[in-house]
Amino acid sequence: MATETSAQVLPYDEMARRHRIETLLTRAIIYALLLIGAAIILIPFLWMVSTSLKVERQLFEWPPRWIPDPVAFENYWKAWEQLGSIAPGLTFWRIISNTLFITVLAMFAEMFSAAVVAYGFARFRFKGRDVLFFIMLSTMMIPGVLTRVPSFLIWREVGLLNTYDPLTLPAWTAWGPAYVFLLRQFFLTIPREMDEAAIIDGANPVQVFFYVMLPLVKPAFLAIGVLAFQGNWNNFEGPLIYLNTTQLFPLILSIQFFQQSLSKEAPKWHYMMAMATMMAAPILLLFFMAQRYFIEGLNVGAVKG
Amino acid sequence: MGDPGAFNSYYPTFLRYIGTAIVLALLIYLTYQGLRKLGVKREAATGFALITPWLVGRILLTAFPILLSFYLGFTEYNILWDEPRSLKDPLFNYKRALSFKIVEFDKDERVSIAKLGQLQAEGPDIVRYRELDSVVIGDTRYVIAATDIYLWRAIWLTLRYAVLSIPLGMAGALGVALLLNQNVKGVGYWRTLYYLPAVLPAAAVALLWFWLFAPNRGLINWALGPIYDLTNSEPLGWFTDKNLVLPSFVIMSMWGIFGANTVILLAGLKNIPPDLYEAASIDGAGNWVKFRHVTIPMLSPTLFYVLIMGVIGALQLFTEQAFIPTEREDGWFVNWFLYNEAFNFGRMGYASAVGWLYAVFIIAITLLVFRSSAAWVFYEGAREKEAGGA
Repeated sequence: MATETSAQVLPYDEMARRHRIETLLTRAIIYALLLIGAAIILIPFLWMVSTSLKVERQLFEWPPRWIPDPVAFENYWKAWEQLGSIAPGLTFWRIISNTLFITVLAMFAEMFSAAVVAYGFARFRFKGRDVLFFIMLSTMMIPGVLTRVPSFLIWREVGLLNTYDPLTLPAWTAWGPAYVFLLRQFFLTIPREMDEAAIIDGANPVQVFFYVMLPLVKPAFLAIGVLAFQGNWNNFEGPLIYLNTTQLFPLILSIQFFQQSLSKEAPKWHYMMAMATMMAAPILLLFFMAQRYFIEGLNVGAVKG
Repeated sequence: MGDPGAFNSYYPTFLRYIGTAIVLALLIYLTYQGLRKLGVKREAATGFALITPWLVGRILLTAFPILLSFYLGFTEYNILWDEPRSLKDPLFNYKRALSFKIVEFDKDERVSIAKLGQLQAEGPDIVRYRELDSVVIGDTRYVIAATDIYLWRAIWLTLRYAVLSIPLGMAGALGVALLLNQNVKGVGYWRTLYYLPAVLPAAAVALLWFWLFAPNRGLINWALGPIYDLTNSEPLGWFTDKNLVLPSFVIMSMWGIFGANTVILLAGLKNIPPDLYEAASIDGAGNWVKFRHVTIPMLSPTLFYVLIMGVIGALQLFTEQAFIPTEREDGWFVNWFLYNEAFNFGRMGYASAVGWLYAVFIIAITLLVFRSSAAWVFYEGAREKEAGGA
């Protein structure tokens, strides 16, 4: 494996030629390997989309058919119609609005509270700050199995089971330590003169936070927004535990409900794949629009940690 | 339960959502004022006030549940009951989870449940020992029996999954990252492509692979068709075959997680100063030496991060499992086992007890990995400090 093709002083043409061939060969191998990897990545992906557009009798055609004929776009609404027939009132639009309601509320609260807490940790010195910050980072290690049952019982005790409260309200308490950490690292890079100048100009701390600090950490703020959207959109365990009226189900739980209802009869793979594609589509769209923020959020723990 | 209607299910939550925000804002303000009254400096008061939402959240929603869970571990609690019931033997849940014994049978004797016996502890129900595994030595069959074989099976599956999927995933991701670091044209496009599966929701990945691995007419068994024909064998059952559940999950996880690790490792590779490679070249180092003595040490903090995240993720696999129905006997991971014990089998007390044991286990492993880092993770900053001190 050639790590570097450093220029060496080669006295003979023959050696230079050999070296060139060797380099060319190495490049060819690199691209070949990358292409094989790309195929492994893409084939399942294309298979998902292809299946989602098939009519039922073509699902099990042998050999597999890649391009559906006819192209059954109707799977994308028939799947939800069929789900609606077993869970009355659970229409496509209802599912989407449920999902967006949870995702947007939780995302906004998460972003905002993470920014406030990170600001507190980054810009002010107070007793016990470093210990608390260490505790905050340690909470990342607490496994979910430890809090699942008691959290369920607490929400049941206050009578808020089967509402969206357990999925959205706690987000105000900066429940993602990684987000706080990411924002704190960004706040630390802002020179102190910035907020001092604003305060001398007569701004109060709230104004400093909104008009000076937040705009300066915008990339990190958007990065955690993207991550929080993705996290809440994909959150399965929360809705599974706290919701039991089907009409309240978000997308992910509706899909699982549909799948379980099918397990006895023939699995409707075309419907399942249409649902999976729809579940993935907004996230993929977000990814292509805001790739920079995804990668920013991904790398912070590793590179800055 | 009837349909409450969309609006009726949104607005009460929305009001409480706004209410929570206002309460927390007030909390920040009052904490600040209170601390100021006590004579705390402005800076310290502001800082402490700003982190109170987090502090209150962690006390109410993390610390308190953890303690509650510890208490519940010593009780019996069906999800249908309003309150936990106390156990005659407070350690019953722990005994039920951990008891095992070895029983001797004749080589040809049938393993009978009666001979295996039952748990000697006073609890709500009779718990029998069941066969976990057996070994034949000479004329004797030694049967290893446990009171909860499903727990041990789940732990065994989860551990093997972690041990296989983490190193394979890391090696693969490192390989691709190294390839992408060779001045490849359009590296941004490649990176996007490889990252794609990691962006897909775990639920979608699970559904997709369940379909790809479908025993009859799944794409993978079709691709392997010629091999089946050649060897005259039956198509593999993948997720439905108890011996192949594990490799199926490992393959799926590699496809899914791969990309994220590749992106992280690639960023780590780009951070290695090129002059280190130049210096190594001047000293006559070959590619392998450069890889072994420059790339790996410089990349070790990134590898460490990927490893920690991999351990935490693998030991808590959950969502994928919910979309891939596997047999309880051989195909359940610990997290799914615990969820079912608590919410479907009516044993919340037992699930809390085992949850505690498992959490301690996860944290112990994570700390062990942290401790091991001193031996192989190279921090440039730390080294400089040492040199400065000497």
